[in-house]
Amino acid sequence: MNKKPSRLSYFTSGIVVENPVLILMIGLCPTLATTVSARDGFGMGLAASFVLIASNVVVSLVRRFVPNSIRIPIFIIIISTFVTIIDYVLQAYQPSLYKVLGVFVPLIVVNCIILGRAEAFAYHHGVWDSFLDGLGKALGFTLALGVMGIIRELLSAGTVFGFAVTPAGFRESPVLFMIFAPGAFLLIGILKSIVNRLTAKKEEKA
Amino acid sequence: MSASQSAWVQGRVWMVLSLVIVCIAAAVGLARVYGVTKPVIDQQKIDAVNQALAAVLPGTDHFEEQVPGELWYGFDAQDVRTGAVVRVAPRGYAGPVETLAGVGLDGLVTGIVITSLKETPGLGLKATQAWFRDQFRGKPAAELKLDKDGGTLDAISAATITSRAVTNGVREGIEKYLDRLLPAQPGMSDTTGDE
Repeated sequence: MNKKPSRLSYFTSGIVVENPVLILMIGLCPTLATTVSARDGFGMGLAASFVLIASNVVVSLVRRFVPNSIRIPIFIIIISTFVTIIDYVLQAYQPSLYKVLGVFVPLIVVNCIILGRAEAFAYHHGVWDSFLDGLGKALGFTLALGVMGIIRELLSAGTVFGFAVTPAGFRESPVLFMIFAPGAFLLIGILKSIVNRLTAKKEEKA
Repeated sequence: MSASQSAWVQGRVWMVLSLVIVCIAAAVGLARVYGVTKPVIDQQKIDAVNQALAAVLPGTDHFEEQVPGELWYGFDAQDVRTGAVVRVAPRGYAGPVETLAGVGLDGLVTGIVITSLKETPGLGLKATQAWFRDQFRGKPAAELKLDKDGGTLDAISAATITSRAVTNGVREGIEKYLDRLLPAQPGMSDTTGDE
């Protein structure tokens, strides 16, 4: 057996080096649409995280019994089962969050991060490694969405998680632009350039 | 492809069987989750409606649905009518603005609440703010008009379409059911007798 990448790196790579949103640039649709506030961003991130981790583990568990030729339909059934579970659970216990996230909860099924990890990682790795990989990517996704949600809520409403953190004058006439789609594009561009800068420096040193 | 798969896994029989097994497992799992969450979800929906109804018709103990999704009668703890609630969904700037309006026995509005809307943040979305909502309280339906339409209600600046939709929607909703909002008075039923 060749030298394997360390287990820890499966977990940590998802957070920065292979951050799904800011480096791999996948799963952008829910990222742009649901990060209008900190709570919505984190809520979406956590919902997708549950599906990502659970589907990674299950795909890894059954991988020896999944024929290569029909693996994609099987992955999709596994993923959509977990999406439906989180859909029911949010509806039952977090109805206000469910109302805001709306159609983006069922759309987690087609989030390319999740199918991507099932196909590229969990189908070829053990359960524990797949769990770590899912956890890392999930954390990276949730952090990216959460940070975007915090910044957009701060600028467009003057609050963070609904708490007023800016002077009343700012909250009266905030940067409304940030709550709309163009604000999301602008912000993700800025974040991407910051991350690029940071990772470029790292490479130079190395 | 996983290297450690046995030969039979790639066979045709297993191809069909594996999909069937996965589907059955998924269906069974989902059925269990559905069974647990369904009652909670239903209760949430009922609670949400009751909360909104109670907010627009203060002093009410329970409601009775008269026209499904459109008209409720309110009663206090002694089963005495307290008024009625009308639900309207006038077209706003970006979709229906679902609004509940409570009407007391005197025919005056007791309060309104907007339960769902898709208006522009910062403009039409301000319709949910208290100052706009509170303008409706204590007014008869006929007086519910924006100041620029000859009424007394202040419109939200830069969101006339939304303001007008809510105002006119509530007025028309109340007028539609006006004869059922007020308790039947003696003599009222005779008026149609001569026609």
